[in-house]
Amino acid sequence: MGPRIEMRGIHKVYPDGTVALRGVDFRLGPGEIVGLLGENGAGKTTLMKILSGLLQPTRGEIRIDGRPVRFRNPADALRAGIGMVHQIFTLVPPYTALENIILGQEGSNLWLVKDRARDQVQRLLEEVGLSIPLDTPMELLPIGVQQRVEIAKVLYRGTQTLILDEPTSALTPLEVDELFRFLRRLKEGGRSIVFITHKLREVLEISDRIVVLRNGRVTGEISTREATPELLAEWMVGRAVVPRVSRSPHPPGEPVLIVRDLEVIGDLGLPAVKGVSFEVRAGEIFGIAGVEGNGQSELAQALGGLRPIHRGEILLDGKPLPALTPIEAYRRGIAHIPEDRLRFGMALNFEVAENSILSRQWEPTFLRGWGRLDWPRILAFTAALLQRFQVIAPGVRAPARSLSGGNQQKLVVGRELAKEPRLILAVHPTRGLDVASTAYIRELLVQMRDAGKAVLLISADLDEVLELSDRIAVMYEGKFLGVGPVEAFTREEIGLMMGGIVPQGRAV
Amino acid sequence: MRRARPLLESLVAVGIGLIAGGALMLPFRYHPLKAYQALFQGAFGTPHDVMETLAFATPLMLTAVTFAVGVRAGLFNIGAEGQMYIGAIGAVFAASLLPLPPGLHILVATLVAMICGALWSLVPALLKIWRGVHEVISTIMFNWIAFHLATYLAIYYLAEPGRAERTRPALPTARYPILAEGSTLTAVIFVAILFCLAVYFLLWGTRMGYEMRLVGENPEAARYAGVQIGQALLWSFLIGGMAAGLAGASQIIGRPPAWSLYATLGNVATLGFDGIGVALVGRNHPLGGILAAILFGALQHGGRFMEYHAGVVSELVRAVNGLIVITLAIPELWTLVRRRLTL
Ligand SMILES: Nc1ncnc2c1ncn2[C@@H]1O[C@H](COP(=O)(O)OP(=O)(O)O)[C@@H](O)[C@H]1O
Ligand SMILES: [Mg+2]
Repeated sequence: MGPRIEMRGIHKVYPDGTVALRGVDFRLGPGEIVGLLGENGAGKTTLMKILSGLLQPTRGEIRIDGRPVRFRNPADALRAGIGMVHQIFTLVPPYTALENIILGQEGSNLWLVKDRARDQVQRLLEEVGLSIPLDTPMELLPIGVQQRVEIAKVLYRGTQTLILDEPTSALTPLEVDELFRFLRRLKEGGRSIVFITHKLREVLEISDRIVVLRNGRVTGEISTREATPELLAEWMVGRAVVPRVSRSPHPPGEPVLIVRDLEVIGDLGLPAVKGVSFEVRAGEIFGIAGVEGNGQSELAQALGGLRPIHRGEILLDGKPLPALTPIEAYRRGIAHIPEDRLRFGMALNFEVAENSILSRQWEPTFLRGWGRLDWPRILAFTAALLQRFQVIAPGVRAPARSLSGGNQQKLVVGRELAKEPRLILAVHPTRGLDVASTAYIRELLVQMRDAGKAVLLISADLDEVLELSDRIAVMYEGKFLGVGPVEAFTREEIGLMMGGIVPQGRAV
Repeated sequence: MRRARPLLESLVAVGIGLIAGGALMLPFRYHPLKAYQALFQGAFGTPHDVMETLAFATPLMLTAVTFAVGVRAGLFNIGAEGQMYIGAIGAVFAASLLPLPPGLHILVATLVAMICGALWSLVPALLKIWRGVHEVISTIMFNWIAFHLATYLAIYYLAEPGRAERTRPALPTARYPILAEGSTLTAVIFVAILFCLAVYFLLWGTRMGYEMRLVGENPEAARYAGVQIGQALLWSFLIGGMAAGLAGASQIIGRPPAWSLYATLGNVATLGFDGIGVALVGRNHPLGGILAAILFGALQHGGRFMEYHAGVVSELVRAVNGLIVITLAIPELWTLVRRRLTL
């Protein structure tokens, strides 16, 4: 039987000042499956990284069977029988399953112990009922099997308490069923399990007890037998009424963007967007809510010309778009505020001026003969851009690195809005920003709407979507679960859909 | 202002390198100040010495460009050595076998060498772009292939009749004019400096350079900006190859007294690898590379005087030079490593 684990008053402040946990209590009994539920950024991963020794809490204590413990690293936690399978896999692709399972065992030379370990691993797999082809290189195994290897790797270290972080996000429904059967078997064997998810149906199916986190706090805890989706959804997203930003109450115009039955393949080679249809009209903000990783990134990348369209069509101003490239998308009037400015939107070591023409560097406006950059013109353009969008920078020739995060984002947003687009694709436009920059960027988006532009807002921040959008959709596992005017949904209904459940009488 | 910081760091590094080299001399009872005085006077004491220093610097500023233009596009192109061999062979061929009128002959020989260098970089470039083969692996392989190919061609097809140890010398019409009687510095240095300036202008003054640098800084942002990444990488390789080819030519048609390639490749060997160090000291900047190449030239030419005048044994001279170079390369190496770690 697994131990009794208790976390008390856990606070976590990240070095950059982000407060991830604000006094969380969490306990886990022997032979119990606890579902840890919450939307993005609720603090689920942080809490479990603390339990598995990967992070130290800023405040609070952990007790095992009543005794206080301190984990300085994951090895400490493993010694106490606690192991975590992370959202992002940590396997070595060309190594075989067996090698991956035994890799990193303390004081072992992979090649020497391999044969001895094989028997042990085989016995473990039989005991827990996992089937894994041990001699196949990881990269040749399907995602579901790779995950089993991850789990086997953790169990091989003698884990009695298994933590799974969003384990079903990349799995097919069949693989999910298999995983659940396996988890029940583990539980019967006496192990305890923490199952992190944002999917309501799954947590209701597999867990014995459910703990809901929101914004670093526990907002509810209930035995699964007594839980209802509605209650969980409310705990997950809260019931606060979001103030709507003021906007001119004009009726929206013609559809600018029409998307029909769009299918997009994700990085893992599986469909990430599974047939969505919608339109965005001139003078409206269409917001797509949903927990991250449900196909929003792939949808945005397809519209921005960064990812091929597998099926379906995209029409802009009534004309079908061909196979898009980023430049073609811009030519047709699409501006793209990308989801992660540091990854896609800018080059930190480039000057502010260089960043201000990024994605427009090919435009004749900024060039002289022979492909030479027209520096005087670029510098003047940048200076005007900084002024118009209130970007505070040491100078147009300072490296972008020297700007604060908020000003970097204002630079990216300004650059895109200055393209005078027909459609603005804004993906997580205010993530990680200070309050003032957030307010300013939201105001800009509303201004664009009022000026008759079509705005497609994709955000994992439900408040942002509710505050800004005229119409919304909720995306779950690559599909839209609900589309309609923002007033047509209660917050609870949206929460349900974010968790994958369509409210009664709302079938799309 | 923004260019001043790297320059300042490099100057500090020079100081530290000199002090470290001095510290290395002390236990062997040499007098560091006297030795450095000999070094400096040897390198810059007379106009003749300055010219010799510059002659040493000429090929180095070019092979430094090969590496630097690669790093700017995110590549670790260490193929300058091989590209330079092939450029040298091309120069020998055009300069010694093609009878052309004066003026035109120099031009043709120079261009042939640059094209040969560029072609030699093409296969690693295409392997990288099409198959993702890491350029370190492919360029090392191509360095070896180039070494053997160049040796073979030099011995079997281009050897000077009756003198198997070297190739036919360049015809007088293909030789860059010597700048002063008794000096080994020729007008090829102006071509080299022009090439460095051109690359500098290309990188910071054109759309193509902007896109190459963007690929180096942040490939995903480059994709977002609509840059054809393969094309940017291809240009980085080709420009680097041209620089290395020109470096090879500079030793054949721009460096008396041999005006030819030794069968051992002795008069070009390691210039490509030395370029990596020069590029690092020059902060992967084509103009910084010119300054760094002059410094390297000074160490090479002036180093001999440390031996004559301060009596420092030649092994120690090389050790001191190496120490100075390592210290100088640290700031740039550090930024490279840090970038790898953080991004
Ligand atoms: N390494 C980190 N540095 C700074 N902030 C972080 C870090 N990791 C997570 N956060 C922040 O902590 C909060 C909780 O994140 P996380 O625990 O990952 O949530 P969840 O797993 O529920 O989505 C979020 O606001 C997130 O942005
Ligand atoms: Mg998480």
